[in-house]
Amino acid sequence: MLDAMPPHLRTGGLLEFDDVTKVYGQTVALSAFSHRFEPGRVHALMGKNGSGKSTLVKILAGVILPTSGALRVNGAEAAFHTPQDAFGAGVITVHQELSLVPSLSIGENIFLGRLPMARKFGLAVVDWTRLHKEATALLHEMGLDLDPHRLVSALSVGQQQVVEIAKAMSFNPSVLLLDEPTSALATREVNLLFTLVRRLRDRGVTILYITHRMNELFEIADTCTVLRDGIFAGSVEMTEASHSLIVEMMFGETARARRPARKAIDRSAAPVLAVDGLTRHGDFEDVSLAVHRGEILGIAGLLGAGRTEVMRAIFGADPVDAGSVTVNGRTVPTATPKQMKEAGLGYTPENRKEVGLVQILSTHDNLCMASLGRIAPSGVITRGREKASVTRQIADLAIKVSEPLLPVSSLSGGNQQKVVIGNWLNTQPKVMFFDEPSRGVDVQAKRQIFDIIWDQAERGLAAIFVSTELEEVLEVADRILVMRQGRIVAEVDPTATTLDELYRLCMEGSSE
Amino acid sequence: MTTALASRPGTSPVIRLIKSYPMEVILVVLVVILIFTAPGFASLRNVLNVLRTGSLLGIIAFGMTAVIISGEIDLSVGAGAALAGCIVAWFCGALVDIVGGPLAALIGIVIAVAVGFAIGFSVGKLRQWFNVPSFIATLALFTALRGAANLITGGFPLTTFPKGFDFLGGGYLLGIPFPVYIFALTFAGMHFLMNFTRFGRAVYAVGGNMEAARLSGIDIWWVKCMALGILGALTAVSGTLIASQIGSGTGTTATGMELDVIAAVIIGGTSLFGGKGRIWGTLIGVLFLGCISNGMTLLNVSEYWQYVVRGGIILGAVLLNQVLERVR
Repeated sequence: MLDAMPPHLRTGGLLEFDDVTKVYGQTVALSAFSHRFEPGRVHALMGKNGSGKSTLVKILAGVILPTSGALRVNGAEAAFHTPQDAFGAGVITVHQELSLVPSLSIGENIFLGRLPMARKFGLAVVDWTRLHKEATALLHEMGLDLDPHRLVSALSVGQQQVVEIAKAMSFNPSVLLLDEPTSALATREVNLLFTLVRRLRDRGVTILYITHRMNELFEIADTCTVLRDGIFAGSVEMTEASHSLIVEMMFGETARARRPARKAIDRSAAPVLAVDGLTRHGDFEDVSLAVHRGEILGIAGLLGAGRTEVMRAIFGADPVDAGSVTVNGRTVPTATPKQMKEAGLGYTPENRKEVGLVQILSTHDNLCMASLGRIAPSGVITRGREKASVTRQIADLAIKVSEPLLPVSSLSGGNQQKVVIGNWLNTQPKVMFFDEPSRGVDVQAKRQIFDIIWDQAERGLAAIFVSTELEEVLEVADRILVMRQGRIVAEVDPTATTLDELYRLCMEGSSE
Repeated sequence: MTTALASRPGTSPVIRLIKSYPMEVILVVLVVILIFTAPGFASLRNVLNVLRTGSLLGIIAFGMTAVIISGEIDLSVGAGAALAGCIVAWFCGALVDIVGGPLAALIGIVIAVAVGFAIGFSVGKLRQWFNVPSFIATLALFTALRGAANLITGGFPLTTFPKGFDFLGGGYLLGIPFPVYIFALTFAGMHFLMNFTRFGRAVYAVGGNMEAARLSGIDIWWVKCMALGILGALTAVSGTLIASQIGSGTGTTATGMELDVIAAVIIGGTSLFGGKGRIWGTLIGVLFLGCISNGMTLLNVSEYWQYVVRGGIILGAVLLNQVLERVR
């Protein structure tokens, strides 16, 4: 067990990677990474999804061990078999998802698992006085004006993030890893966080800072290290860096993606789906868009830009404060997913494992889930009646499944995604929303999924396509809307836009 | 579905049978043992007795299976059964002079079933509107319904049933106890409902992943409310049969029945986490519990030991399912 926080923070440590490689089966996630992270500086770590960034985070957090290579903290060789090993070496990771217990106080959260004890009447009891005193001292030292008695559930997300960092600091780390700490924060709260990060840096703590937001780099980071496809792509001092230099390091020489010749879209006809002034305060404001028959509309934006929120709201999965949705010229009031399905909408959600599929049910059942009403208008249903819908989708979408009656959880990610799509295609939708359809699937399955989307559009389906991977949006969509902080800020033609331009459009304050 | 289990080469058919149909195999083994050890177990009289007792439990257990698959639970079925019997008895007493005995009983039964359905349905609505877990709502009903039943009877058994009413719970049709027919009908109906209707498939989806079902455009609250309503109605049916069998509407009858019902469902392989289970499995569970209790009584096992054994069986069944899950 770790002792409660000593009153003074120790100085930072030099973190060195020497030829660190991580291999998963056939995939090289991180390849011969060598770099020195100097103490007392904020080191940004950039790279698009799949660049090896999260592998690096996991190695430092003690979640996985590198396949080969060495890691050194202050010159001493370190191998983190467990998160405790990492703590012991003074390397603390603050993960993107908050790990606080909302129903407990700030103080108790900070010392969770190592509460200071005192003996009273011969019994070991929690020493609340000392706990809160130490918590106050810690918060104070970090320049935070928070009462440790307050419940975490009463704090804003930004304050919670700050408490999370305070908790990490109570372990007295020499290296602090912040994994996208600002992804859920409002601007004002970002400033609070930055003040804290600078304060810690000035104490000599080595800070690794992972973010998707490029503007933050120039504000907070001293250096920027970029990974691309598992390989070290370069490292620059922020004083010598520019937006385009970093984008170039991240994406490299991107070959223009192939895409099939697309039919011209008839935009003179009324749109199949028209959204007008859709608003939910705090999440998205005044979103208006229209999609025509056979058109693939891409929505680009960084994580947290509100893409998924808008799609879920259009689909009726979440409430809205204002705005209307019109499908085929008919405005759908008080939408629920059920009504939207009947109106001709389909939605393949971004997190297919959690909400796209019922994992314990069979592939067969999952393929029929949304279309039970269509298959069984009278209410009576048999496997025989469902069979046609199941075999059609398995054949059309080339779903690799040995036995459709086995649980869908036995399929690979790509095939599961196809089941989600097939489930919706069985409802014969007019409009389909594809939310991150390529997440967590292999390259080949990704190509197949894009082919399915193009093919369906060719047959008249209107589609909205969302992906964190901007290359994919450029490749798949006929037209792209750019979202930033809950608003649509631009519309671009993918054939006349470069990745670099699109990436800049997605960034905050890129107009400067 | 268990029938679709992939057969791995190299495993003997016996092992495969045990892995695929564990409770069926255990039930058969139990029956064979009891035939040879328990005096009178295999007699027609005794078999019919086991079936009659099992029927009263099973009618409710089939409804409970649907509710548990949908991801909810109902702890109030014992009290609900008692209330139903008291409602029927009250109407028999109040209306007998106006419409005659048989019609009074019929009105009573219809109202009892409707009340049962409405109570179950409201449990679902409480969950939907106020996010009250069904565990809590039905725990409250567990005591409230029994209180209500006693309020109706004034604390004494209501022996107001018309002549011939005892046929429902105690009579024989073609040599088989009448409740067994209701039991068989309920089994067929619930099996059909769960496997061959849109509603049934939706119950599995909702219990397996509520959000995925909602995003698939399934009206998840309708599904849950209906499952709970159906259980309420079936509870009332069983409660009527019980009242008929003992000849009165009594507020104190069917105490502890909810535990036996849930035990039968669990022994039948239904997962308390929702999304998984079969009506057929519950039938096996009901027969298994019936045979065990009857067998132990015939073998002169003390009542206290019977409780201990039943507890062990529930735990054992769950462990068996968990272990098999891993083996598969």
